[in-house]
Amino acid sequence: MAATASEPKKVTLTTSDNADISVEREVAERSILIKNLLEDIGDNGDAIPIPNVNEAVMKKVLEWCEQHRKDPPASQDDDADSRKKSTDIDEWDQKFMQVDQEMLFEIILAANYLDIKALLDVGCKTVANMIKGKSPDEIRKTFNIQNDFTPEEEDQIRRENEWAEDR
Amino acid sequence: MTRSRRIKREPSASRSDTSASTSPERGVDDDNDSFMSQGNDSQSSLAISLSPDADDEVLRRAIEERCRVSPISRLPAELMIAIFSKLSSPSDLKHCMLVSRDWSRNSVGLLWHRPQTNKWSSMKNVISTVRKADSFFEYSNLIKRLNLSALGTEISDGTLQPLSGCKRVERLTLTGCSKLTDLSLTAMLTDNRSLLALDVSNLDSITDKTMTAMAANAVRLQGLNITNCKKITDESLEEVAKSCRHLKRLKLNGCSQLTDKSIIAFAHHCRYILEIDLHDCKNLEDDSITTLINEGPHLRELRLAHCWRITDHAFLRLNPEATFESLRILDLTDCGELQDAGVQKIVQAAPRLRNLVLAKCRLLTDRAVLAITRLGKNLHYIHLGHCSRITDVGVGQLVKMCNRIRYIDLACCGNLTDTSVMQLATLPKLKRIGLVKCTNITDRSIQALAKPKQLGHGAMAPVTPSVLERVHLSYCTNLTLQGIHALLNNCPRLTHLSLTGVQAFLREDLIVFCREAPAEFNEHQRDVFCVFSGIGVQRLRNYLNVDSPSLNRGPLFDGDGTMFDESDEPEMMVNVTAQANGMVIEEDEDFGEGSEMMG
Repeated sequence: MAATASEPKKVTLTTSDNADISVEREVAERSILIKNLLEDIGDNGDAIPIPNVNEAVMKKVLEWCEQHRKDPPASQDDDADSRKKSTDIDEWDQKFMQVDQEMLFEIILAANYLDIKALLDVGCKTVANMIKGKSPDEIRKTFNIQNDFTPEEEDQIRRENEWAEDR
Repeated sequence: MTRSRRIKREPSASRSDTSASTSPERGVDDDNDSFMSQGNDSQSSLAISLSPDADDEVLRRAIEERCRVSPISRLPAELMIAIFSKLSSPSDLKHCMLVSRDWSRNSVGLLWHRPQTNKWSSMKNVISTVRKADSFFEYSNLIKRLNLSALGTEISDGTLQPLSGCKRVERLTLTGCSKLTDLSLTAMLTDNRSLLALDVSNLDSITDKTMTAMAANAVRLQGLNITNCKKITDESLEEVAKSCRHLKRLKLNGCSQLTDKSIIAFAHHCRYILEIDLHDCKNLEDDSITTLINEGPHLRELRLAHCWRITDHAFLRLNPEATFESLRILDLTDCGELQDAGVQKIVQAAPRLRNLVLAKCRLLTDRAVLAITRLGKNLHYIHLGHCSRITDVGVGQLVKMCNRIRYIDLACCGNLTDTSVMQLATLPKLKRIGLVKCTNITDRSIQALAKPKQLGHGAMAPVTPSVLERVHLSYCTNLTLQGIHALLNNCPRLTHLSLTGVQAFLREDLIVFCREAPAEFNEHQRDVFCVFSGIGVQRLRNYLNVDSPSLNRGPLFDGDGTMFDESDEPEMMVNVTAQANGMVIEEDEDFGEGSEMMG
């Protein structure tokens, strides 16, 4: 960092809707996909195509990467984070995730595609918090989901999983 | 019947069959069976059966429509599973199952990973669901963890048998379900190739049949606990050793029929053993121990308490060139044949020992203690109770060389005097000290223990209060109220203080703060029993400071000690206790008390 402090290295990303976004390499490299790409092909100044993410979503994702640019790298052990199921989310991330559902799920898909584990985690926790404590019907309303069970099927599943209410 | 259940039904078209459908959060291990707990070693996948009458075309169109009106439908199955895995309550997961077909497919595996079986009502529902021929899902294949220990003796073969169709169980915990027999156990183990850990401790009616069934199937087994399964013999365990080569943790304590034969088989075939507990396997001889250590490069913990036949040769015959850097914990309680030469070899061969238990190795002398000093800073826990030949000279050297000692027990070391305890009092990290029946010690020892520690040297070095938590002083008959009062006022973390048989404390007004004597004690034992723990320690301290009419003769403290502000102690105390309970790995709650029982 100290060596490049005067002029941080930049890279250009080309989104699915053909927009070019210029961003500091350190920020873009929060994405393991981009980091690996840059390491594999070498940084020759060419724009990097990101065909699965559009400009609006990419900008939002990069806003998160900027905020978290100095976070320590994700631990090697995949389970370290998931060990605690806690759905606690820090304050900045909570505000960041206050978007409409369309954007929320696009961020999750992009985080998954771009391989940004911490962002994916925050996204999943946000959705889990929207589910917690709700009845099946309230969940359907929240996410606009059609109930495609017959009443008999619904009743069967309810009976077969009765134990899960015991606590 | 089990075979037909294993046939996978063709999944209908849905986005969930394009993904691996594996839970990304597999390794979550919040079971309380610490013996079995380890990292993510599960390779399970969710086999989901779908309701058979789903129509491809209709479903596809429905999905397109749903994605339009409901953005969450864009997420593929693995991301839905990632979301559901953040939900910790079974009732939230159950509600997800009832939302829609897609949602139920993606949540059912997480819900059934470890079904709730701690109450009869839930147990009964789980069993009846698993047995149903036309259930909505093939629940039996989703169960990965089954722990029936909470219901203990209420569990019979009739309870376990219906679950024998669950062939993908990875962790089966049946601690104390002592009514179970080979009948249901063999049914449960046959055809299960996924088992990683089995705990059948205290199931005293199971025999070689169960172990043979396990050996024939559980090729991935890593943890086995057959504590007190006394009918199990070498015959089946040799088979287990030959086929379960990934075993890492073995608890065979109390399997009294075992001999060197099976233990040597484990040593030869299972090269990844980390921990082995052979407590009370009284037939074992030197050969098996030598082989275990020589052949087990990863061996970290070896427990041999009451293996009476073990002698120095078990260690003297170790490969002379090798050191066993992994060995951290060695328990040789009551291996009465062990002598100084054996201990010298142990320390040389295993220089990184952290816990060394030599209680009741009565032949040991100061020569053994001097050898132990070579462990230096590595030594945290040392038990020399009933090693009655050791003297102040040995203890003095031990304190000088091993200043990271946290726990020390010197019960019944009758030669020790105040000189030893005054040395021990300088150990900066000492949390527990056991001095039961060290009859020479006096209040001088206790004053020394109470004295705050000087960090570093010189008059300006900072002073910090004692970190002592547990102090065992039963049958130290010279002690008086004065010394103990100073100890109470200078050790803010003290949570356990035993003074059984100390005349000065057998007074009506003090005994009220003492905890109940264990149920199995006889009348005499009850009469002299005197142990203060937790809140009792605080009450005793308060009483001595404020309430005691006979004692109110101004503040009592040692020469240069300071009195502590009592007001902020209770909270601190709770904290410390919680921490102490959380960090235990080698705890033996009866630290030092075995000696008290004898009194």
